[in-house]
Amino acid sequence: MSLESSTVSTSLEAIRAELSGTKLSTSTLNFVVWIDDPARRDWIVERTGMLSEKHPSFTLILDNSGSCAGAATVTTSPRDPNSTITVDSERVEIDVCGKDTATLVGYVTGLTKTNVPTVLWWSGINENSRETFYAMLPLITTLLVDSSGGTRDDTGLRMLAAFHAEHPEVALRDLAWMRLRPWQDMIANFFDDPNLLGELFSIRALQIASGSDSEALYLGGWLASRLGWTATAQDTFTDRAGKTITFEHKRVGDIRRVLSVCLDSETSWYHGEVTEDDDAVVRVWVEGEHAREPQLFPLQAIDNASLLERAVLEPGTDELFETALRSAATLLG
Amino acid sequence: VATTTATPGGVSANPLRKGLAVDRIADPCNVVFFGATGDLMKRMLMPAMWNLRLEDILPANYGIVGFSRADDDDDKFRDQMKKAVDEFSRTGPAKDPLWSDFTKHLSYVSGTFDDTNCFHKLRERLEKNDEELGTGGNRLFYLSTPPSVFAQIVDQLDAAGLGPRDNAKGWTRIIIEKPFGTDLDSARALQAEVSKVFDEKLIYRIDHYLGKEPVQDIMALRFANIIFEPIWNRRYVDSVQITAAETVGVELRGGYYDNAGALRDMIQNHVMNLLALVAMEPPVASDADSIRDEKFKVLRAVRPIDRLRVTLDTARGQYDAGSIAGKPVPGYREEPDVRPDSNTETYAAVKLWIDNWRWADVPFYLRTGKRLAHKNSEIAIRFRSLPHRLFGDYGDNFDNNVLVMKIQPEEGISLRFNAKVPGPKMHIRSVSMDFNYGTGFGVVSAPAYERLIGDAMRGDATLFTRWDAVETAWQIVMPVLDRWLNTVDESFPNYSAGSQGPPSADRMIAMDDREWRKI
Repeated sequence: MSLESSTVSTSLEAIRAELSGTKLSTSTLNFVVWIDDPARRDWIVERTGMLSEKHPSFTLILDNSGSCAGAATVTTSPRDPNSTITVDSERVEIDVCGKDTATLVGYVTGLTKTNVPTVLWWSGINENSRETFYAMLPLITTLLVDSSGGTRDDTGLRMLAAFHAEHPEVALRDLAWMRLRPWQDMIANFFDDPNLLGELFSIRALQIASGSDSEALYLGGWLASRLGWTATAQDTFTDRAGKTITFEHKRVGDIRRVLSVCLDSETSWYHGEVTEDDDAVVRVWVEGEHAREPQLFPLQAIDNASLLERAVLEPGTDELFETALRSAATLLG
Repeated sequence: VATTTATPGGVSANPLRKGLAVDRIADPCNVVFFGATGDLMKRMLMPAMWNLRLEDILPANYGIVGFSRADDDDDKFRDQMKKAVDEFSRTGPAKDPLWSDFTKHLSYVSGTFDDTNCFHKLRERLEKNDEELGTGGNRLFYLSTPPSVFAQIVDQLDAAGLGPRDNAKGWTRIIIEKPFGTDLDSARALQAEVSKVFDEKLIYRIDHYLGKEPVQDIMALRFANIIFEPIWNRRYVDSVQITAAETVGVELRGGYYDNAGALRDMIQNHVMNLLALVAMEPPVASDADSIRDEKFKVLRAVRPIDRLRVTLDTARGQYDAGSIAGKPVPGYREEPDVRPDSNTETYAAVKLWIDNWRWADVPFYLRTGKRLAHKNSEIAIRFRSLPHRLFGDYGDNFDNNVLVMKIQPEEGISLRFNAKVPGPKMHIRSVSMDFNYGTGFGVVSAPAYERLIGDAMRGDATLFTRWDAVETAWQIVMPVLDRWLNTVDESFPNYSAGSQGPPSADRMIAMDDREWRKI
């Protein structure tokens, strides 16, 4: 399947004229992408391309990174009338450097398809983009971010937590949270045995090693929200009985990756650790009273394009995530 | 008879599971495969178990036990399974260290199905697994053997204390491969044997067609959309065609197939299940029994085929030599293990009527065959003609609207409708609007066996066939089967490999002024 690309001016009329020449296409969603970080531009465009190749979607990339040349690129399915492809994606990439907010909103309202959900992937890091961000909110169905996309510290998560507190009505997705699903499954696995349920309520320490803060804070927030813990300091929870649980996070390894998790109960230590031989495999074992021989689990490393896919395909709000985010926010103080 | 379906407490009691995909994780359990060195095990079942492991659908505590006549041991069995996974798994060759970890859960019991001692050995193995692997007494038996030994295996399980009534610790379920019986009497006899040991809720009769994504989407299309259900009835539907066409011949299954034929191999199970899904009433809920109640009700409403009408309402065929995709292929009677004067049909077409309010007077045409022009499984709903042709003066070719649910190899939905040809005059032409799963969702469907084994481990019987439906399906086909078994079709072989099927099938549908969709 070959797509056709043409370069036109950034005027809305010129882009619409270029799009009108395409064959009938079917869209399942509008995918709007905002980029203002030159360092991550190519990475984001590549992932966006992967998603739009798989889905009959309308993709609109608003590139404010200053790295393109004052033009718009319109990519469509082949216009050959004999082509048998009836469903394909359309992609419009616009250099929006210097455009005012009204113009940017005009691109979104003027180009996106009606009657299908609109997902905004906001990868903005620039404070000057704030006005644009808020102007876009009324136009979208779901907001997608990556709180550990470009930073190891907790900046992204802090901003997200503040935004969520301010706008709880916006359906949110965070790729940093979504990457944790295999770890959550593994931690839950420790306590599927009904005889070990009591152990969950005697946890006294939680240690997480990860390359960026979001992952550790999310896992801590998730456990806290599920088990009724309350954050009393950045490194301490108390459980429902008033007992203290210490929370230790080591920033180590690659950004966006969890290396190990350890939960200490009053009787046992529950460990999960990425193996040295294969970083897609986790060794899981238990020491102490409930000792269990090491077992290996596939980490199900999910590529970013697939994460994006999940984020845009899952409709509505994600209560589990939002609860964990609020809980993580209490750790941030 | 015990009907335990889940470990008390278990996964669902774990507060950390809330909001995670609980349905992805089964209870700790042992899965025992009878016929563990057979072709199905190597091609489908073991790759499915491996991929369930990779997808994290297996619980942390699981055991996989192979049982077969071959005089193998654990290590040899593991080696064989590694080769099978390397060759047939959709995820490619198995890699260490995960495979080495997986093999710790694999074991093998060598034995014959008539030797009770071997089943005692199996019991010892399962008890050892409960102790060492933490499998909690839960057991899933998978009969991947010739149907002739199904009853014997069930008897032996009971005799060795491996039946549900002897398992106080956990649940015991059984998966039975098709065919469930070779006719109505044998199916009833088998059911009588199996039900002595297993309650119906513990029996999972597998029809891998039901595990295919597009088959499950039939219900989504019908009951998750408002626009189709109002026209899904005799008022708007002219006829329904269900097709399961294959290009392959009998391959290495000549011995089995020559005693089965297309009617028993496909129509009685796969195609009948499709008929039930497309024609059933909306279930009151999405649980297994609500859906299976409706499937049973619609099968019960199928009008029995009058013995005197068998020749009019059915067609049978047997393929001759021909060519598939430009390559010459032999005729059925030249295939290995097939009798040279075989009277077995490799093609079957049946016209059925459903006597209820929704479908009165709407014919359902079912057909299946081997060595046809293309591989194509689909359900086509043909709607009635327009009541008045407003644009008929120009001699345009108006087609009836057709909604096609494509099952394989393409997976999707297609709607044919009429549109104006651009230009000054009102010329009308039929066009097609296609939805394809591959591009629509961008995900690859997991093979049916993965879905179905995972469901059985979780105790979800929705996609398995209940006895009342099996029995009714046999009742529907028995008049045809009796007739075909007792009369020699002198025209055999009557269609060339690579063709659309026998002329008798065309004549059958032509009597109703209709024609088959092109395969």
